[in-house]
Amino acid sequence: MKSTPILELRKATKRYAGIPAIEDVDFTLLKGEIHSIIGENGAGKSTLTKVMAGVVQLSSGQMLVDGDVVNPQTPNDALQMGVAMVFQESALVPTMTVAQNLFLGQEKFFNRLRGIYISAQQFLQSLQFDVDPTAQVSLLGAAKKQMVEIARAVLHEAKVIIFDEPTASLTPEEKKYFFDLVFKLKARGVSVIFISHALEEALLVSDRITILRDGKHVVTDMAAQFDRERIVQAMVGRDLSQTLYGQRKTFVRRQGKRVLSVQNLRMAAMVKNNSLSVFAGQVTGVFGLVGSGRTETFKVVAGIIKRDFMHGGEVLLNGKPVRYFVPASAIRDGIAYVTEDRKIEGFFETKSIADNIYLGLLAKLGGNRFLVSRKEAATVGEHWIKRLNVRAISKDVKAIELSGGNQQKVVIAKSLVQDPQIIIFDEPTRGVDVGAITEIHDLINRLADEGKAVVVISSYLPEIMALSDRILVQRMGKVVEEYSATEANEEKIMYAAIH
Amino acid sequence: MITAITEWIDRQLGRGSASITVPVFDGALKSNRYIEDARVLATLEAPEDLATDGVAVFVADGSKVLQVLPEGLKEILAVQGSITALACMPGGGFALAIDGKEVRIEGGANHGRHWRAINGQALCAVNAIALGADGLLVVTDGSTELEYAQWKRDLMSLGKSGRVFELNPQTGEGRLLAANLHYAFGACSVGNKLWVSESWKHHVVDIDTSVRRTSVTEDLPGYPSRIVPATGGGAWLTCFILRTQLVEFVLREPTYRKRMIAEIDPAYWIAPALNSGNTFLEPMQGAQLKMMGVVKPWAPPRSYGLVVRLDAQGLVRYSLHSRFDGKNHGIAAAAECDGYLYVIAKGSRRLLMIDIAQTEKELIQ
Repeated sequence: MKSTPILELRKATKRYAGIPAIEDVDFTLLKGEIHSIIGENGAGKSTLTKVMAGVVQLSSGQMLVDGDVVNPQTPNDALQMGVAMVFQESALVPTMTVAQNLFLGQEKFFNRLRGIYISAQQFLQSLQFDVDPTAQVSLLGAAKKQMVEIARAVLHEAKVIIFDEPTASLTPEEKKYFFDLVFKLKARGVSVIFISHALEEALLVSDRITILRDGKHVVTDMAAQFDRERIVQAMVGRDLSQTLYGQRKTFVRRQGKRVLSVQNLRMAAMVKNNSLSVFAGQVTGVFGLVGSGRTETFKVVAGIIKRDFMHGGEVLLNGKPVRYFVPASAIRDGIAYVTEDRKIEGFFETKSIADNIYLGLLAKLGGNRFLVSRKEAATVGEHWIKRLNVRAISKDVKAIELSGGNQQKVVIAKSLVQDPQIIIFDEPTRGVDVGAITEIHDLINRLADEGKAVVVISSYLPEIMALSDRILVQRMGKVVEEYSATEANEEKIMYAAIH
Repeated sequence: MITAITEWIDRQLGRGSASITVPVFDGALKSNRYIEDARVLATLEAPEDLATDGVAVFVADGSKVLQVLPEGLKEILAVQGSITALACMPGGGFALAIDGKEVRIEGGANHGRHWRAINGQALCAVNAIALGADGLLVVTDGSTELEYAQWKRDLMSLGKSGRVFELNPQTGEGRLLAANLHYAFGACSVGNKLWVSESWKHHVVDIDTSVRRTSVTEDLPGYPSRIVPATGGGAWLTCFILRTQLVEFVLREPTYRKRMIAEIDPAYWIAPALNSGNTFLEPMQGAQLKMMGVVKPWAPPRSYGLVVRLDAQGLVRYSLHSRFDGKNHGIAAAAECDGYLYVIAKGSRRLLMIDIAQTEKELIQ
């Protein structure tokens, strides 16, 4: 690693409506280094990187690229300077093919589609990305979209590539490919900025780590000088390691009434004769590898997708068979599903926090409410903002302007306002900072203590083990094993999920 | 008309009642081997029911009543006919059902009192006697048409003639508490409520004599049988046979069932059984399933062993099992005495004993 700074920020400050998102931050990125930026949601990571990528401009301070003071006004400006950003949410054009997206903005006057496909194919193969260049982007999964984003950044010969939560939607195999790619980029002299909530990943791949807290720079040091505890302490200013994933459950809540019984459920190739129960007053954790049919099972329960038309099995709510054609019916029956993909399915990004939460209530009320009360929306919004500790300037802030953790709280509030009897949390802390994780976990425990039936679907084993009273392991479309919290360990669960 | 059309559509699409699903053994019903690994006290000739007076445990074995003692079993009573239900009377003596057609009191203050019919209704398949409020007896009669030993035929005929009677040992009076039950099999007073097993409907109901029946615990994965009180509130519920999708399917096929009942020996019916694996003629026992290139032994279990501990609200606290590879199947009765649970596995004709405190310690962390 050479010690030449390729990108530098000096006393960087960015204010939104007078409130600083980052303040007097000094940051240096060296040539050919992998530099992780870590912090709670709302710590200023996204703002800092958006400044570098030309998405927003500094209120004060300086940005230097290769020693020259620059002030990129648009992402394209930044790209010309060699700074590219791969966003957490897809920035691809969904109706175009992979190849068209790759070469978007680099089109010639006369384009030969076949030529573009051949070039894209060769380029993707050189990166070992298994993506069909002729495939329409809207038909790709999250991981493949991510690959296309990365490929696009590499294609633009960026000197600096900023990855915002790149691994959140990747499978373990895809993560391995991704990290291999990052190391290859590093070997080619490309500098990489890596934003992640997965601290282990940051510790594993980074040369240096910078930690931000409340918009301010806390520490930058070599990755080898950090361990998990030091990072967490620097991020939150307090020792959360014991309250986060470190603690395993030592007790199991007493099982209440069987609220939900799924019997021999079938849904295409994803859910195969699946049976399970969910009880009141307990957290039922559902673990399984990607493709094990966890999400699909509970989306059928919540009326989001439909089971097989013929011989699809039964779903019994409080002993009564139910079959929902739309989610609204499930909501009215007291089933709330907190989505794993909050940005697509969780909220209306241009609506305010209060409006989003109020929409949850309206979904429950259905056709019984002819008029919408702004006053009621404000009251409901304020109540839930306070109850879930959503950190925002006001209830009127748009959801898109919130940090990931606070957005997740809004999505949860939107469901809780419906006063459900079953709450299904699908990956409740994906892309959420450690502070918010603790708050969300506390909330999940509180709901179970109040007697609600809570389901937590998670790919993160420590989270499953820290929260669940019962752990259901799903594999190839059905539950294959059940453990109580006290008998489970990571090896047992993983063995059941794989074998 | 609309119901008929809906049923026809359900049948075509495999939905609703035609979806043929069974609840899974999970949560507090998760399988274990506590019944299979229980201590075997004795292998008997024809064990049927258990009773306790709080001090000793008694077993109805064929025509005899045996007392369980540390040194073994001691015969204390013999009658003419098979005992199909047994209960200890509060002041001493026993209430017995003989051949399912007569309830008789042996010993104690009301010795000799007996009932063959109540208000003109003849008893047919009495399978459980419980103590009700004010020293009254509660008797469940599974069927008005088929005798007790023919329970399988009653199930496959979709019988719904079960009754519950209340008998007064002092006056000899009796009254009908409930009728048209889908095989009444076991009753128990819990608090001020009377719980009754309605076997073919896989649930336990609270029989409120003045108003209606409410379900206490429903959609059980087995067919419930006798219920006895448990220390600390609630009850022990035994499930003598198991539900399977295959049997549920056969129960929906009247033509097939009629031919099966008419032409095939009941031992080989596609129906639940108290034990299995005795002969290759039993349905499905030799089946195999090839999954992902691997041949796996597979067969819907015909018999199973299950005891469920219910709390005072009827919620399942935990359960004890003998899985389909075990022998202690067909759990017909249980009785709790002095910290131990005594269980009759009718399938293996064994009397079993389980340490309750130890089991709870292991099952409820």
